[in-house]
Amino acid sequence: MQNTKSLSSYPALLAGLTLLLALLFWWSLFSWSAMNISARDALDAVFNHEAGNIAQTIVRELRLPRALVAIVVGCAMAAAGAVMQGLTLNPLASPSVLGINAGAALGMALVTTLGLWQGAFSTSVAAVIGAALAWLIVMSLGSWKAGGQSSRLVLAGIAVSALCMALTKALVILHENQAVAVLSWLAGGFVEARWPLFGKLWPVAVPALLFTLAFAPTLNLLSLGDENASHLGVVIWAVRLLGSALVLVLVGWTISLVGAIGFVGLIVPHVARKLTGYDYRRNMPVAMLMGACLVLLADIVSRAIAFPTEVPAGAILALFGTPVFIYLVRSRI
Amino acid sequence: MFLFLNFRKILTIVVLAVIASYSAAATVQDSKGEFTIDYEPQRIVVLEFSFVDALAAVGISPVGIADDKDKDRILPQVRDIIGDWTSVGTRSQPSLEVIASLNPDLIIADISRHEAVYEDLQKIAPTLILPSRRETYEENLQAAVVVGTAIGKQEELEARLAQHRQKMNEYAAQLPGHARVQFGVARDDLLSLHSENAYAGGVLKTLGFENPKVSEEGAAYVSTGLEQLLAINADYLIFGYYSNPSIVHKWHAEPLWSLLKAVQDDHVYEVNANTWSRARGMMAAETMAQDLVRIFAEH
Amino acid sequence: MRATLGLPVLLLLVALLIVASFMLGAVPIPLAEILKIGQADFAHSFTLYQYRLPRAVLAVLVGGMMALAGALVQGVIRNPLASPDVLGISNGAGLLAVCFITLFPQSSAGAIPLVALLGSAMAALLLWLLVGRYPSETRLALTGVALAAFFAACIDFVMLLNPQEINTALLWLTGSLWGRNWVQVQLLLPWLLLVPVALLLVKPLNLLALDEQNARSMGVNVPLVRFAALALAVCLSGAGVAVCGPVGFLGLIAPHVTRRLLGSRHQLLLPGSFLVGAILLLFADLVGRVIDPPIEIPAGIVTAILGAPYFLWLLFRIK
Repeated sequence: MQNTKSLSSYPALLAGLTLLLALLFWWSLFSWSAMNISARDALDAVFNHEAGNIAQTIVRELRLPRALVAIVVGCAMAAAGAVMQGLTLNPLASPSVLGINAGAALGMALVTTLGLWQGAFSTSVAAVIGAALAWLIVMSLGSWKAGGQSSRLVLAGIAVSALCMALTKALVILHENQAVAVLSWLAGGFVEARWPLFGKLWPVAVPALLFTLAFAPTLNLLSLGDENASHLGVVIWAVRLLGSALVLVLVGWTISLVGAIGFVGLIVPHVARKLTGYDYRRNMPVAMLMGACLVLLADIVSRAIAFPTEVPAGAILALFGTPVFIYLVRSRI
Repeated sequence: MFLFLNFRKILTIVVLAVIASYSAAATVQDSKGEFTIDYEPQRIVVLEFSFVDALAAVGISPVGIADDKDKDRILPQVRDIIGDWTSVGTRSQPSLEVIASLNPDLIIADISRHEAVYEDLQKIAPTLILPSRRETYEENLQAAVVVGTAIGKQEELEARLAQHRQKMNEYAAQLPGHARVQFGVARDDLLSLHSENAYAGGVLKTLGFENPKVSEEGAAYVSTGLEQLLAINADYLIFGYYSNPSIVHKWHAEPLWSLLKAVQDDHVYEVNANTWSRARGMMAAETMAQDLVRIFAEH
Repeated sequence: MRATLGLPVLLLLVALLIVASFMLGAVPIPLAEILKIGQADFAHSFTLYQYRLPRAVLAVLVGGMMALAGALVQGVIRNPLASPDVLGISNGAGLLAVCFITLFPQSSAGAIPLVALLGSAMAALLLWLLVGRYPSETRLALTGVALAAFFAACIDFVMLLNPQEINTALLWLTGSLWGRNWVQVQLLLPWLLLVPVALLLVKPLNLLALDEQNARSMGVNVPLVRFAALALAVCLSGAGVAVCGPVGFLGLIAPHVTRRLLGSRHQLLLPGSFLVGAILLLFADLVGRVIDPPIEIPAGIVTAILGAPYFLWLLFRIK
């Protein structure tokens, strides 16, 4: 019965989320600015730009790319979390819990503080490699199977995460003499997200997101269990490899551009599943939309909370995300 | 040794020593209450840059400085006066064993950084503890007077202070005044603006400039993005760079940067971040004033 | 051989490291000078009595207590990755300390240990409330991990909102012995009484390590033992964290090293962990002091850099 109910309301849910996202997008264009920007300016800047108008230029040059980056990052993190939960069949799997965020940060820290290798995409590639190494270690310690082994995977993830974070912190502290730089370096946010950054983000993130949508049916097969899935013609190792690559590209690329944005990947897939059921073809688009809304909202809050100064959105998401983590541990384990 | 000195020389030394010990008996108020010293300290260790400036102002050379193991952090003109010294480590965590090995007879410490080790420092030598980090311009001058009094150079220091005020007035006369000038320190990914409650803000005010309002609560230092910088829209922007290229350099390419009033009028200048943000003291303030005079003379 | 020689060898190592930390530092003191201790012409009385000696004593106490706490936690949670950090104790202490530092920047730094101790008690209480009276091992560990993550997020948040106080806070959060002296030693001494109490748990912990069912049938009150061991661990590591700040990986790694050296019977493991923890922290502090004098690198950074590779190797060995 629940199934039929969610069937009829699914388009409505999608439409509602899209509308919510559009409203948040609009709001984020003009809210909490040290300059006086009106809601009208925000619309004019997009549709009817008047050159030389400072408020409109701020919207076009700062707010628009910033909101777009937040949306893409939100989609990417939520999608990465959903794929990870689908691959490991573990409800707590997500980039932050399984050490991928921390691995990517360590990779970047190694490259930037030690100046190992400089190039146009050096930090991005280092982040992806760091994330991959962390993922490799975690998965070789944990297991792909659900059930009694799931907490082992999470503990391995946390341990690798702690390891990477300690090393990152040590590197940055030895490199920076000003503590505030250490923290702002470690916390992800969108303050510096401009058009060039968006230009680096979307050519990788958007194709990866589209691919994730195409990957959803395969995740459905995987949830039937290894044996059933391989009877249905799924090459398990190839799917895992492909899914992992997808996650690493989404997470590593995002983190290298905006810093660590944690806990979206943990929370959002759960809520999406609650609303739409276990079919990844249905809950994946919902998860992406919700991730985008959540991160966009966090970015708005990041400007509001200590106005006119800003707090990194990543810190806010971690603050509100960890209680949900506690809740999930309590209810799922 | 004494055989080579005649009686008059010895007498002179004794008399001088007696005079010195009388004139040097000083009692001042420091952050922990009353501080009394009954001799003229000869081996002084200082744990913040502002105190080095105060000592140099009256020609005293400290034996040890917490210089973050980087001698260049002390202003060149201060270095010229005080000569060489031993580094005692970072300002945040100075090495107490190095301090002890220098056998100091006075330690000057910062209440904000060194309160936790105040008792240990006391065991090494009498310790004068005063505000330094986060102090304002006026507080810095007051602290300098206290330092001067404690080392038995009150008159010299007050004379130097009067000279400093006069110099600052002269510099102020050469500057246009009333313009809204904003100073900030930029690193790789962070721009921190110094408000009127920061040291640099106080110097700017003394020189007749206005400090734009950067914070509602009156915070001394405010991390700022390009958007807030536009909202502040100062007439003149002065940046010190702790790293180069810094976040400000990244902004140069952006359309919004060119909307800043200071950018449109070509009023963005670079100064030495160390002098403007770390040094603090009369000589630092005078150097800052000279920077401004040079900047405004060129335009 | 192991059983008879292990502990004395470790003790000898502690003694050697203490002597080394007397001699080495920004100002090296030759052994001949140190032997003049107590004589009238002893020139280094401050450096030795007020600086290196209290630091060495503190390193032994804090390192030992944190490691012992780690061994106790691993004994009852029976997960090799468990440690007091995993239970969120260190981060709880850190959170309250950071709040204190940012809310009352003018207040005395001497109050931080008390506040931090309160913080670890708060974290332990919260954990207890969340997991209930008879938690499974996994649930305890995972809830602890989640709480630790929450406290860490709060710490970052508070510090980002108050950028001016970060320096002081971060100094404490990296775990360092700088600026600590006899006062902190006195603060720690009462907690040292818990060490012999921990040794009372040797037998039930040995039984518990074999099999929970078995232990129960042998008359072990499993919930009581678990509670006692965890409470002891909270107190020991809380007191250590209060004084030095969280020292990364110490409570996690020291018991593993000990297990490798002395085996996993708790009558050797518990005292052995204490000594190994002492050795690790003494060594980390010494390295931090001599690597780039007069700059002091916090011991917590040294333990993280030394401990991380070992930890990684450990992770693979456990599998």
